[in-house]
Amino acid sequence: MALLEVSGITKRFGGLVAVNDLDLSLDKGQILGLIGPNGAGKTTAFNMISGFYQPDEGQVIFDGQDITGLRPDQVCKLGVTRTFQVVKPFPQLTVRDNVMVGAYNRTNDRKESRKKAEKIIEFLGMKDMREMAAGSLSVAYRKRLEVAKALATDPKIILLDEAMAGLRPTETDEMIELVREISRQGTALLLVEHVMRVIMSLAERIVVIHHGEKIAEGEPQQIVQDKSVIDAYLGEVEIDVTG
Amino acid sequence: MTAENPATTSNNPIRSWLKDIFLDWDRTQMVICFLLVLFLALTPLFISSTYYLGIIILATIYAFIGISWNIVAGFTGQLLIAHIIFLAIGAYTTIVLFNTYSISPWVGILIAGVVSGLCGVVVAFITLRYGLKVDYFALFTIALMVALRTLFLKWDYVGGAVGMWFSLTDPSFDKMIFANKAPYLYIALSLVVIGLLVQYRIYRSKMGKYFLAIREDDDAASALGVNTSRYKMLAVVIGAAMAGIGGGFYMMYVTFIEPPQVFNLGLNIEIVMAGPIIGGLGSLAGPIVGALLNKPFAEIMRGALAEGRSGNSLIVYGSFLILTIMFMPRGVTGVLHTIYRRILNRLNPRNLGDS
Repeated sequence: MALLEVSGITKRFGGLVAVNDLDLSLDKGQILGLIGPNGAGKTTAFNMISGFYQPDEGQVIFDGQDITGLRPDQVCKLGVTRTFQVVKPFPQLTVRDNVMVGAYNRTNDRKESRKKAEKIIEFLGMKDMREMAAGSLSVAYRKRLEVAKALATDPKIILLDEAMAGLRPTETDEMIELVREISRQGTALLLVEHVMRVIMSLAERIVVIHHGEKIAEGEPQQIVQDKSVIDAYLGEVEIDVTG
Repeated sequence: MTAENPATTSNNPIRSWLKDIFLDWDRTQMVICFLLVLFLALTPLFISSTYYLGIIILATIYAFIGISWNIVAGFTGQLLIAHIIFLAIGAYTTIVLFNTYSISPWVGILIAGVVSGLCGVVVAFITLRYGLKVDYFALFTIALMVALRTLFLKWDYVGGAVGMWFSLTDPSFDKMIFANKAPYLYIALSLVVIGLLVQYRIYRSKMGKYFLAIREDDDAASALGVNTSRYKMLAVVIGAAMAGIGGGFYMMYVTFIEPPQVFNLGLNIEIVMAGPIIGGLGSLAGPIVGALLNKPFAEIMRGALAEGRSGNSLIVYGSFLILTIMFMPRGVTGVLHTIYRRILNRLNPRNLGDS
């Protein structure tokens, strides 16, 4: 059985169906990409899996346990941690304290949490910045801090919401390497990403959603040749050209 | 940080001990706090005027109340404006137990802490249940204060509009009534010491980190496994219980209480908010530093501007608060922190920016 089994989740905001009957499945240590045009419902799906929204219908099963409707902190305790598209550092706290908040998820001991935070900060190459206030970091490092905090909670799955949007190419490459390393250590990842290069080089499988519904699923090579996917994306381009 | 600093492993134990303290801003703040406590403890030796001693005792009580508010508003960022509710409930609990049931204030003050803490549970539950945040939370507490004032005015059990008081004619330790001022000062100082230690323990622990995380970003905290509702309630309850204890002692010191006096936003600003804000909200030394500047300044203004129209002193006091907030948004402690970092950088650039 898959580590994360999402079946038929639906979210409506008034008359708008943001996500409709979406199925996802993620195995241990796997990287699954979730792509789709703007407003396709990717972040809404994330919010439902991580407990920020209650799905109107459907179920989220993690590790054999029904986690539908649990609070975000309960979901995190069980081992599913998300990052935010619009990064949310604790601006007045130091980088180390930011990561320590995550590390306290698995321990009550200050020394232990601190040690873990130091280790993760080093892993992400932010050692020199650990005493800096998180609010004074550059965008690239804020994105990294977001990953560091999530990693510190000791998750079995990380939901990465556009962790590489707005990064320069070299920064993106470094981030890809980091994600690959995280995956190598056994953590499964669900990526929402706009940068196709990232998705293509990382994801083992890709799910494409459009207007809240899944339109395709498969390996990266299949996906780029899928007609409905091309239509969804090219349709957007066409509008861009004429408009 | 000290642990990685090779210099601290020098074989001079006193030097390394000093470095342990002064390379850490939290500990440095605690040193400042305890120097202030020591100074206050020595004041009866060179101040004999009961008027000035009275001001110092009130400032000390304000420091304790300020710490209790700092934990709620400074650490978790919850805008519990009318925190004085809990002080008032603590004061009333103590005096009702003392007058009506002849229970010693020493016990009464502790019961006051429990009663106020329970009221904190109720306030936190209502605000969390209905998702009242920031300004709505603030308005709710103010509305509650006004409602309680009316309730207490009509409630004969607590003296109604007449208020409650006790006589100072029969001093005794059991009744927490003393013939001179010094014992009051030392009781208040003991409360402050306990308050400072509690605050420090919280700040350095998991609970404290979670409190700060909630203040900085609620959603991000919950995504990292923080049960935000639980920790918000915890902060309110701790703050309320401490304010209740402080209120109980305040009652025993001022000897008289009536609803308009304590369910009052003006006194709330003076007793609860001004200290931590002047001193630096959310910092460890803020409440005590602020209280020692705030209360004496208010009193001096009241004395100096007593002649002429009444209210002149309030204009000056209000302006003082506004100027402080404008020029020192992080309070006196914030300014001290900047100076501290400059000194540290000059001594050793590698220690750059300790928390």
